[in-house]
Amino acid sequence: MLWNSVYNEFIKITAKPRSYLGLLAITVLVGVILFALKVDGQSMIAFVTSSFEQTLSFQGTLLNGNLVAFIVLQMLIIHIPLLVALVTGDLVSGEAASGTIRMLLTKPISRTQLLLSKFIAGAVYTLCLIIWLGILAVIVGKVLFGTGDLMVLNSDGLVILQEQDVNWRYAGGFAVAFLALLTVSTLSICLSCFSNNSIGPIVVTMAIIILFTIIGTLDVKLFDAIRPYLFTTHMASWRSFFEEPLPLKEIIKSLIILLVHQVILIGLSLYHFNKKDITT
Amino acid sequence: MISRFLTLILLGCLPVFAAAQDATAILEQMMAKWNRVKDYAVQVNIKSEIPLIKSFPVKATIYFKQKDQFKMLSKGIAILPKQNFNELPKFLRDKNSYTALITGTEVIQTQKTTVLTVLPIDDSGDLVLLKLWIDPKTDLLLKSQSTTRSNGTISANYEYGSQIAFGLPDKMIFTVEVKKFKIPKGLATDINRTSSSDTGKPSPKNGKITITFADYQLNKGIKDEVFRN
Amino acid sequence: MSDKIIEVQQLAKRFGSFEAVKDVNFTVYKGDVFGFLGPNGAGKSTSIRCLLSLIKPDRGEIKIYGQTLAANRSHILARTGSIIEKPDFYKYLSAYQNLAIFSRISGATASAKEIYQMLDFVGLAGREKDKVAGFSHGMKQRLGIAQTLLHKPDLIILDEPTTGLDPQGIIDIRNLILRLRDEQGKTVVLSSHLLAEMELIANRMVIINKGKTVVEGEVSKLLSSDDLVVQLEIDKVEAAKNYLKNHLPQLEIIDSTATHLELAITKSMLPELNKLLVQQGFSIYAIESKRKLEDYFIKMLKADAVE
Repeated sequence: MLWNSVYNEFIKITAKPRSYLGLLAITVLVGVILFALKVDGQSMIAFVTSSFEQTLSFQGTLLNGNLVAFIVLQMLIIHIPLLVALVTGDLVSGEAASGTIRMLLTKPISRTQLLLSKFIAGAVYTLCLIIWLGILAVIVGKVLFGTGDLMVLNSDGLVILQEQDVNWRYAGGFAVAFLALLTVSTLSICLSCFSNNSIGPIVVTMAIIILFTIIGTLDVKLFDAIRPYLFTTHMASWRSFFEEPLPLKEIIKSLIILLVHQVILIGLSLYHFNKKDITT
Repeated sequence: MISRFLTLILLGCLPVFAAAQDATAILEQMMAKWNRVKDYAVQVNIKSEIPLIKSFPVKATIYFKQKDQFKMLSKGIAILPKQNFNELPKFLRDKNSYTALITGTEVIQTQKTTVLTVLPIDDSGDLVLLKLWIDPKTDLLLKSQSTTRSNGTISANYEYGSQIAFGLPDKMIFTVEVKKFKIPKGLATDINRTSSSDTGKPSPKNGKITITFADYQLNKGIKDEVFRN
Repeated sequence: MSDKIIEVQQLAKRFGSFEAVKDVNFTVYKGDVFGFLGPNGAGKSTSIRCLLSLIKPDRGEIKIYGQTLAANRSHILARTGSIIEKPDFYKYLSAYQNLAIFSRISGATASAKEIYQMLDFVGLAGREKDKVAGFSHGMKQRLGIAQTLLHKPDLIILDEPTTGLDPQGIIDIRNLILRLRDEQGKTVVLSSHLLAEMELIANRMVIINKGKTVVEGEVSKLLSSDDLVVQLEIDKVEAAKNYLKNHLPQLEIIDSTATHLELAITKSMLPELNKLLVQQGFSIYAIESKRKLEDYFIKMLKADAVE
């Protein structure tokens, strides 16, 4: 029954025009970034390396597909939560608003299974978005700009990663980025369980992300204690895969915090959804 | 009175003229070795240890053809000193652009070397001072140090092996003076960082770039197309 | 006992300070077309939602097929089909896709052939691939019936199935319900505001008011009481009214027009009334019994209000 419901959710998601909005938005955004880099990428690189190039010269193709993919990922990963929430925030509340939740819940499928199927479908949709971003950023980036070593600018300096050392880092980076977006997806589905209108959970999800990001950015002592536990703090953990040496401890910590968020949010959703009276 | 004074000046300048002539000779002998090389291709391994830059050794191929055609092909990103090893022969070949003086002797790698100080004639150029440590017995350059207005001081140590007869090194170790690099803040967004980064630690002032040369292909003819971009 | 399909006892549900259902009790037997009646706000919808586990009751017990709903929800709902208030579908999907979606989570996934047959059965043949967004209310209602029947349930719960339908649509639904009972032996629980419709098809019923059961039983027995409401088409209405007030004070004159008198009267008094009026020279053109259920319903609610 669970997988039948998951299949149903896929059909619904694929039939909704708004589901393609995310893919379209990513395509347009990545297209714009790739175009900008193709036209003026060298000067962007020069801006980064100018401080070093007073003494040193960099030989080789700095602006290559690997760097382009990194720039795309860095620029877009903060916007993709909106695209994720746009679809996942509607999964439960949209059905409540349209009345179909009533129809679904008079069927023998358990509420837990129904909600889990929505979480799974939301996760698959999020995965599709991240894979599409990966295809556009990494594959199209490499087709247009070629391959090469990846030069990454971190707050503690430059890291130059060898070409053969980059693909697994992207795989890891995208996996962690997926997990971060999955937390967003879980949050918006959770909020969706508490609402009977489609827009509310989407707006609240974004508001929470913005609020947590601000708390994470503000240099206020009061926030120091909570900052490491905010999921938004770990949304950029994919970058850790591009550090040398690999900060495995930090990555694992981020993964645990993101997973704990997901477990709590799913648990809360299941508890509320199972107790909820359907009066719409 | 005047003639005695002029004699004194001339006598005082004599050692300088003599040193200049000797320095030129030493340079010419050193460069004579280089001049026997019409072209070469060599595999290099570049290892950079620069503060604030983490990188892996990079393999590359260097092509050189007289008089000053130079090309490095590397699949990866290689970090070289701004004044790299190609600049020095290029500068020394133009004998009218500098004055060379012997300014002492020094032991480098257990070898007694003559220290040459090379002063550019054009004092508006970037190069301010060049010092060369040359082994007078083998006419090999063992160390160089260039001071430029924009890049500070870069020194290089040379080790020889297979191509000693041509004055081509097997290893070069550059020491570059690293200014405090500035990271553009907006671009380095480690928002996941909850622990302090390494930027607070005092970073060393010098960076080291080691280039190891192997498999020299000397005077085998290299087409000009190789040097085109 | 074995033919009891639904047993509801002391059902109660509160939403905050509002007590929607206080004490609802009723029993539905196999093969019943069971009328679920009550004015707006009586607790009908809440009770029906409790039957389908959409709302969790605070108190009381619901047994369906002899099993408690709380413990056997999936098993019970697999044998139950329902439409609550109005059938809501995924507007961006076709009729076929909608049925397929609900079928997949109904316990017995219907084949494509069965879905096409069901759409044909409810009169939506040829519209299978059309998006529901373009369907009229009547078509959605038919599609709702289709999703209710697709997994071949034993019990069908229809909450206001005729709302918004045109007269032909109402007749179609009525005939469908009777066919389901007569040909397939289904048990149907039906709530409707259309009391005349209910009177035509329900064999048993419950009336609830203010969250409580007012009366429950067989429709024929409940409506067979001696009390009648009749409408007389008569000449000289005013004279007749005065005469009846003086000579038959036990009669209640409910209403009068220029040509008609509406009276509350016992069945046994009807021949006497007729005889007296004819003897007094009044011309009676017609004596018509008004819709019984409607009056019974109103009577019950009035009685409940007095209590």
